[in-house]
Amino acid sequence: MNRIITSVLILALLFLAASACQKETASPPDNNSNNNNWVYNPTPYHLEVPAFFPVLDIPADNPMTVQGVQLGRMLFYDPILHKDGTHACASCHIQQFSFSSDPEVLPHINLGWSSAFLWNGKVEGSLEDIMLFEVKDFFVTDLGNLEAHPDYPRLFYEAFGEGGITHERAAKALAQFERTMASGNSKYDQVLRQEPGVFLTDEELNGYDLFFTEEGDCFHCHGGILFTDNEFHNNALDADPEAGQGAITGSPFDLGRFKTPTLRNIELTAPYMHDGRYATLEEVVDFYSEGLHTSPTADPLMKALPQGGKHFTAQEKSALIAFLKTLTDTSYIANPALSSPF
Amino acid sequence: MVKTITLYRPGFLAFIFLFLLGCNKDDPGGSLLQLNFDHTVGGVELNLNDTWYNSAAGHPFMVERLKYYTSNFALQNAEGELVEVREVHYRDAEKPDTRTFEWMEVPPGEYTALSFVFGLDETVNVHGGLPNTTTNINMEWPLPGEEGYHYMKFEGRYNANGAGDIKPFNLHTGPTGNNKNYIRVSLPFSQPVKLSGGTWQLNLSMDLSEWLQNPNVYDFEAFGAMIMANQNAQQVLHENGSNVFSIRKIEKE
Repeated sequence: MNRIITSVLILALLFLAASACQKETASPPDNNSNNNNWVYNPTPYHLEVPAFFPVLDIPADNPMTVQGVQLGRMLFYDPILHKDGTHACASCHIQQFSFSSDPEVLPHINLGWSSAFLWNGKVEGSLEDIMLFEVKDFFVTDLGNLEAHPDYPRLFYEAFGEGGITHERAAKALAQFERTMASGNSKYDQVLRQEPGVFLTDEELNGYDLFFTEEGDCFHCHGGILFTDNEFHNNALDADPEAGQGAITGSPFDLGRFKTPTLRNIELTAPYMHDGRYATLEEVVDFYSEGLHTSPTADPLMKALPQGGKHFTAQEKSALIAFLKTLTDTSYIANPALSSPF
Repeated sequence: MVKTITLYRPGFLAFIFLFLLGCNKDDPGGSLLQLNFDHTVGGVELNLNDTWYNSAAGHPFMVERLKYYTSNFALQNAEGELVEVREVHYRDAEKPDTRTFEWMEVPPGEYTALSFVFGLDETVNVHGGLPNTTTNINMEWPLPGEEGYHYMKFEGRYNANGAGDIKPFNLHTGPTGNNKNYIRVSLPFSQPVKLSGGTWQLNLSMDLSEWLQNPNVYDFEAFGAMIMANQNAQQVLHENGSNVFSIRKIEKE
């Protein structure tokens, strides 16, 4: 009896394995189901992930396509997304500033590797989730405006097929475009890739050593290839901290916690901190050196808190800043594929 | 000489292997062993953030984060043979889904002890030794010349003088130079356990107090907030780490 059951199971398994070998038959391209002769036959988009970056999670229900990315790019730059037509995403997320702007706009860079968004972590999940929030709740997109547009109905059809224009599809297109906003071509990256003729200077190397040891101890929050842990910390900015993540979770233990911003392109994203209180990197390093404030939720990783900071020498400060500037990726802010399509 | 059978999982081959085993009528088949980790302080379940605990050195402390790796789990039988799973497991006290590990298809046998590595041995504790995920990246131990991963991040605050002088502590364990500092934990069963199919639950507890007291008193004031390059502190934790785990129960479902 056992033998029979086992044999059936093996057969079932082999059958499953065999059927897995068959190519997934995608729904056939839809060439003539509408009056406008629009074509739904999206082209897979090949995303180039920078060297050493972790695997990028792409939701199974939103594969990247050339049409989807292009639609997302248009929506990113088009004020039509805003209910009053006054703003586009790109109004505040400006490419030349690594898609940030004054005074406290978080940059859009490598967000594909993030799973909690906004300074206070208001939205958790995928890029689709945060983009749905932006479309539905922040911009309160009027779908009628998109439906009445001469091009968008066709562009949505070409990207997503039958089903019309929805907030979810706008969010999916934006998420696809955001996944292409990957920056990994700074001087630091070129050194990691051992590109010929690219080396850190002595001062940059000193900054690197401070950064990646407990001497400077930047790396516990801003470390790794992404230069952020994508977590939330109270970095001892204030004795009486703002709510931060606590406003979302309601927990007193989350008061003053904000999302760790990436330090990639940090040279381009002044001013600094969640409220933009520091105008320069020099002021930021001075803060970590001498300006820490104790509060009940100040992060344990702020190890020099009892001393008020790390007390760097002038040379150490300039070495740190020199290293931070090796994280600037000018090809990112010049990338034509990320620029306005209009 | 200890004979080691190493199983690699997850693996389709293991599945096939199971069916082949199933064809042999005399073979009772493997067991599913589910290992469940919990975290306690002085025997009481860990409560992150809002509970202050007593330490042997006399400084009340609270815990904000606890993250660590365990690896290379092995069961030993009375003959000294080991059945081993060469895997690395990440645990985060804040994330319940990291606290269990399902060991599929443990071969039938009578086992007398469980052992594992707390941290990572030298074969994986190198730069890029673990899969390139954001979780593993956040555990990187990037000190020049010693690149690998933190074995543990046990972070919180302590009351330095009992009068509200609150300071941070960070028990970050890992290698210093030639001192690899990972810990081989061995936990004998109170009596031999005969695994012969079915699902088994094995509950393990890590008691955080033991990091600070057994056999050495770990004094936050003496070691300060940062110990990554401090072998004296690492050595104390290395010695105490053999005593932090205990088996709470092992039983068949």
